[in-house]
Order: sequence, then C-alpha cells, then structure tokens
Amino acid sequence: MEGQNQEEQNQNQEEQNQNQEEQNQNQEEQNQNQEEQGKRLALVVGLSLCDSAPLLWRVQDLRTIRSLGLVGALLGSLPRTPRQNLRLGRPLLLLPEEERLLRENRAAAVLPEQNQDLVGGASREGAGPQRQYEEEQQRSFQEQSALALEDRKSALLRAMTSSRAGSESGTGFDEALQRRLLDLDQNFTFPQSALAVQLSTTRAGLSYCPEARAFLQANWPVRAQDDPCCEARYQVFRDLRGRGFFLTSAGKFGGDFLVYPGDPLRFHAHFIAVCLTLDESICLLDVLAVARLGSNVKKTVLLCSPAPDGAVRYTSLQWSGMV
Amino acid sequence: MADQNKTDTADSFYSEILSPCQLFAARSRSHKIPVRGQKDFLPNDSEEQKQQLQQSLDEHWSLVSEERVERLGSLVKATWIPSEQIVELQTPAGKFWQTMGFSAHGKQYLLPEEALYLMECGSVLVFYKELPLSIQDGYETFLSSDTLRLQQYQVFGHLKRLGYVVHRFDPSSEPSSYARQLNLPPSRDRGGTPLKRKRSTSPTPTSTQSRSHTQTRAESPAEKMEEDNNLPESQLTTSTEPPETRSASSSTADGGRVRTQPASSSSADAGWVRTWWMRDAPERDSEKTSDLCSSAGRSRWDFSAIPFPDLGSRDRSPGLMAAPDPSALPGDLAVGVCDVAAWRHKINLRQVKMSAKEQGRRRWDVNKDREVRRCRNWAEYHELLARRQAKRHGRPAHLWNREVKPLHDPTQPSPTAELLEKISVIKSTHLLEGASRLKGSDEWRICFDVYQPDSVADFKKNNPGKPYTRVCVCSFDGPVPDLRAVKQLAFRSRDVPVVFAVVDHGDISFYTFKDFQLPRDVYP
Repeated sequence: MEGQNQEEQNQNQEEQNQNQEEQNQNQEEQNQNQEEQGKRLALVVGLSLCDSAPLLWRVQDLRTIRSLGLVGALLGSLPRTPRQNLRLGRPLLLLPEEERLLRENRAAAVLPEQNQDLVGGASREGAGPQRQYEEEQQRSFQEQSALALEDRKSALLRAMTSSRAGSESGTGFDEALQRRLLDLDQNFTFPQSALAVQLSTTRAGLSYCPEARAFLQANWPVRAQDDPCCEARYQVFRDLRGRGFFLTSAGKFGGDFLVYPGDPLRFHAHFIAVCLTLDESICLLDVLAVARLGSNVKKTVLLCSPAPDGAVRYTSLQWSGMV
Repeated sequence: MADQNKTDTADSFYSEILSPCQLFAARSRSHKIPVRGQKDFLPNDSEEQKQQLQQSLDEHWSLVSEERVERLGSLVKATWIPSEQIVELQTPAGKFWQTMGFSAHGKQYLLPEEALYLMECGSVLVFYKELPLSIQDGYETFLSSDTLRLQQYQVFGHLKRLGYVVHRFDPSSEPSSYARQLNLPPSRDRGGTPLKRKRSTSPTPTSTQSRSHTQTRAESPAEKMEEDNNLPESQLTTSTEPPETRSASSSTADGGRVRTQPASSSSADAGWVRTWWMRDAPERDSEKTSDLCSSAGRSRWDFSAIPFPDLGSRDRSPGLMAAPDPSALPGDLAVGVCDVAAWRHKINLRQVKMSAKEQGRRRWDVNKDREVRRCRNWAEYHELLARRQAKRHGRPAHLWNREVKPLHDPTQPSPTAELLEKISVIKSTHLLEGASRLKGSDEWRICFDVYQPDSVADFKKNNPGKPYTRVCVCSFDGPVPDLRAVKQLAFRSRDVPVVFAVVDHGDISFYTFKDFQLPRDVYP
C-alpha cells in the first residue's frame, strides 16, 4: 500500500512536473508574444499636445524617432546642468512635417492631456494614488536609510583599516571596530530631509498601457494643413528623408530646412532647402539674398519644388562670381 | 506602468522611474557635460564613423534620459491653484525669491512660468491634490492661452538660463507722457534727499524795461518800428500837420525818422513820400488813400507852358525876370517884375574844368535813354533804377519778384551744411515720430521686461527700476513686424528698447530696431 501510494505520489509529482513544464512553456510563449507586441507598440510613439505643439517626453519615444531618421528640437532644461543653453533636455518638439510623416506611417498617436483617472478620480475614491505615493515614499525612505547606514559602515571600515596599516594591534583593533560599528547601528539617523526624491520628467501613468494606445490609434485628431506651401514643404521633406538625409528647421539660415548627409550629431549640414511651388514666382532679390547667405555659411542653397508627377525637382545655386 | 518597466529589461538604464537604490546612488553623479568633438564631413561606411556615431548617440541618450534627483530638504514645496492660475509656496522660498515670485495675503506665490522654470532647475516640487507634478504635467497645465504660450515660455526659459531677470510686462507701470513731461521723480525716492529747487525762468529784464520806457524816453528800435508802422495811418487820418506834432513821444526830426525807417515799412511810406507832390494842391485837404499812386497823370497844370525862372544857366538872360502868371500863384499874391542882376553876381558861373571821363559822362545825358524817357514820374524812374541794379547784382526781377523764388541767393554767404539742408528731399525722422497717433493693436504685444544679470545682487522686486530691454515674442511662421507695429511697440515701451525674439522650433533669434543717423560728409 505504501509503495502504491508512493508510486501514485510519484506519478502525481510527475504530472505536476509536467503541468509545470507546460505552464513554463505557455509562459514562454506569452513572454514572446508580449515581446513582439512590445516591439510593435514600442515603434508607436506617444505625442503630447502642449498649446497645440506636438511634444515627445519619453526617452523610448525619442530613440524611436531618431531611429526613423527624424531629429526634432529639444526645448527644456537639461537636468544635469539646467542653467545653460548649449545643450537642452526634454521635451522634444517635432516639425509639422515630421508629425505628418509619423501620422501617415501610423507610427504615432496622441495621448490624452490630463491623466483623468489619477487626478479626477482621486477625490472620489478617497485618495488612492495619494496613499500609494506616500507608501512609496516611506519605502524609499527605509531603503535609503539602510543604504546610508551601509555606506557609513563601509566608510568607517575603510578609514579604520587604512589607519590600522600604520599600527599593528590584532584583536584589540577588531574589538574597537565592533564597538564602533555597534555605536553606528544604534545612533545612526537618516533625516527625512536627506531623502533623495525624483522630479520625474514624464508623466508615469496608465496612458502607457498598451490597451490605451490601441484605443487611441483609432481617434487621430485631424490637423488640417491645406496651405499649398505647407504641402510643398511636406513633399520635399518626405522625398529628402526617403533619400536618407536628416532634416531640421532652418529659420536662422533663411530657408525651410537644413539638410544633413547623416546624423546631425556627427555631420555638418550641406544644403539649405528652400521650398517653392512650381507656379510660385520668386523675386530676384530674394534669390540673390539666399544665395549670398548660402555662400557666407558655406552651404549650398537648394530650390526645391514638388512636380505634379510626384517627384521633386531640385535646383542648386552656386555663386561663381563675375565673368 | 510597473509592468512596462519590467518588460523593458534591456532599457532599464533608461527607465523613467528610479528605484530607491538608484536614487541613493545619484548623489555621486558627475555634474559636467562631456565636450563634443569635431564633426565629419561626409558619411562613408567606415567602422570608425559608426563607432563615433554610436558613442555620440549613447552620450546623448544618457544625458537626455537622466532624471532629476534632489534632496528633500533642499526642495521647496508648493501647490498649484488652478482657480487663480498661481503656485503657492508651502515651505519658505530659497535664493530664487530675490528675483522671482511675489507675496500676497501673507503667503508667497510664484507665477506659473516661474514655477515651471524652477521645476526644471530642480528647486521646487509642485503638488496638485497632494501628488507631485511631473515636468510634463507642468508644461501642460501651466502653459495655456491664459497664462503664457509655449513660445513665450521658450523665450522666458532661454533668458533665465542665461541669468537675466525676466518679469511680465506691466503696461500700467510706465509713467504717462504727461508725467514724463513734468519730469516727476519716481514716488519711491521721497524718503531721500529733498530735491534742489530749480531756478524758474523769469521774464527777461530788457523787455520789461522797454515797456516802461515808451512813455518817457527814446524807445528801442522795435518800438520805433511799431510807431513808424502806425505813421501812415496817423498821417492820413489827421490833417497834414508838420511831422513834429504827429507823435508826441518822438523827438527826432522828421528827416531823421525817415532815415531810420526799416525796409519793411519803407514801401508804404516811400510810396506815400514819393507821390505826395503828385497830388493837386487844392485836393490836399480832402486826401483819399486810394488816390495816392494813381494821380500821376491827372495834373491840371501844363508845366511846359509855365516859364520857370532859370537863374543859373549860362545863357545871357535879361537881368529882369518877367512877372509870373497870377493864376500860377496861390491866393491873392501878386508879384511884379523882379530885378535879378544882383543875385546873378553872387552865383558862381565859372565853367568847371572836368576830366575826360567826366566830360564823356557829361556827354551821356540820362534823358537820352529811351527807357528813362518812358518813365512818367519819379516813382517809375526809381523802379527802373532798382531793376537795373538788381540785374547787375544778379537778382533779376523776373526770378526774385514772383511767387516761386530761387532757393538760394548766390551773393549770400551760406555754409555747405545749410545748402545741403535746403536741397534735401528726404527729411530724416526718428522712430517715435507720429507714434502717439497710432492705436494699439492686439497682434503685437510686449511680453517681458528684462533686467541685466549683474544687477541681481541689489535687485528689488518692488522697485526694479528701468528694464534693460523689453521683449516681444513672435515666430518665423508669423508676419514680419511692419513699421506701424514697430512704432507702436516703441511708443508703448517709451525709452526702453524693444527686442523681437523670433522663435523657430527651438532656435531663438533676437532682433531690434534702432534709430540711425545717415552720415553727412560736410565740413562747415
């Protein structure tokens, strides 16, 4: 009987093991699916509209954008050194052409402005997120005080061992060390004011849930761009991006886009693109002005016009002097 | 959110929420930014370039993804009050209070853009409903059309990061043009030293003296001119008395007065003087002003028939003068034959020796000139003489006596600068000319007052003083400010220059308009 029971037990255990293996397999599949989903969704970028300007906040979104060849412009202060203007931090502002390109490739969605559940529901539900926040702060405080204590102990150890190198005292030293460590344990306090707190850049919230994004993809707000010059700009942008160039705005250079042969972090711009419609007449003085400017900053001026057949015609201006 | 982080195991380095361990480790972060090296010219597919690109990108992402971590004790806590669009501080303000924020009802407040900037610097933690706001929340709630647009906040942040003190423009803080005309001192200086009393301009002593002298003694030439101008009327209305009795105050002789007459009144007087002999004797008493010059041809005497005695000619005339016609004599006067022999002896009739030139000139008789003979009276002869002289001296009458005169008299000495001024077609103007007539527009508005960074040490929020410049924010997509807009803004800003901050997708360019004088190569 016992043997049978044991066999049964073994069988059960084997079954259990098998079930567990199956479960593991299922979980692996789930993980794979999630990864794929994650990969697909990671390529969809969440735009936030601030004062009707498209901004990107998450680092993942910024990296996705860069991998698509779109540069954008950083607007905020850099957290490490906020009081300088040479290098700026998040948010990233997109050109209207960049936003439209993302929209046409179904690679972006607009996120809701306020986290309604977080803020609106708080008063109704009786401060759920607030309590969560306080608990998190408390937990962080405990962990940090433990870490601080560890840090102090190791510092003490280092100091005592280095001072020990001078004098050889053996067990007396160990006793002193133990005593000091005990003192530290009892008397160490980690004040609340020393707690390190994060000022988060992006809004951490439910809006990053995958379901919410899928829902939002269906409701893309239509931003009308009927202006013919905007259309010309977009056609030129799309064509040049398709050829592998990186484009940024060129207001300072008197043109529409600055065209880089590679990533702007590593290369200088080669062209200043001025976008015109084919039937638009341009004053000769304007051509002269932009050509002069281009020769002064050592960039070639490109006059770009989208043709009716979909291609874009480029004309470059070169200052060759008086003949 | 926590799940998302767990799936992104590969990018845990870039996770948005830091664990307490990471928060603690952030204390020993570096605060330096790595320097960017030289850029390449053209992309080739070399490994070296790929590596460098990857390195630059990694550095870029690590900087951009770094989160702000601060000690709780060094953070100022505040709450957002949406009803008033203002941030209220819960803990005392730090160093930024010197230049930012304001007090009201015993509490400290910050404007939304100031609060957002301080959040980005990591000095302030703003709560809403007891939950901390992220920077993203800050951008989306604090920046709206009621408070500040995103472009205006970009300019605000840019200037603040450079160290300037930036306040919102308050149009009521500018003194009105009337107050400025009075040159009132700012009211806050009352407690200081009292002002020196300015010496008031009193009327000049010479003018008061002259007024007192009119009744007594010789007047100034101005008074004299007034008197002289009054003369024609007085002479006409009163009877023709001798000049001495005409104006009691005048002591100089009639001849002297005529001599000192200025040119302006000479024409009327001279005209009157020249033609008084033309009037017929019986008509003198009932003289009318209009008849002054037109009586030239209406004499009832035939002078060619009256023999005027000629005692000085060398012709042998009889020593007796015939009796004149009694009708030519006034009243009942009767004159008989006159023996003039004795008189003739007293006249020197010796012939004068003249030089050849004088003889020649004597030969030319002025009466032989046809134009002179055409003159019917002395007035016309004088006009002829004036015309000839004018032509000789380069001021012909056909040019100078008309409505449109030449711009400059060549005989007058005039410095080159004055000449240039006369012939200039373009008049120089300044920016504020005509600006007071322009009405304000909604499109162009001054946004900020900017004060210089080095004044931070003694900057007083209640009395900031005159700003260094004022900023108007616009964008490259919008219209270029036309002259009207520039004048309006310059007028609203009075004596502080206005700078246009043009925002273009993250780049800000500053432009300003200044008055400029065209150079003139003129040596006086």
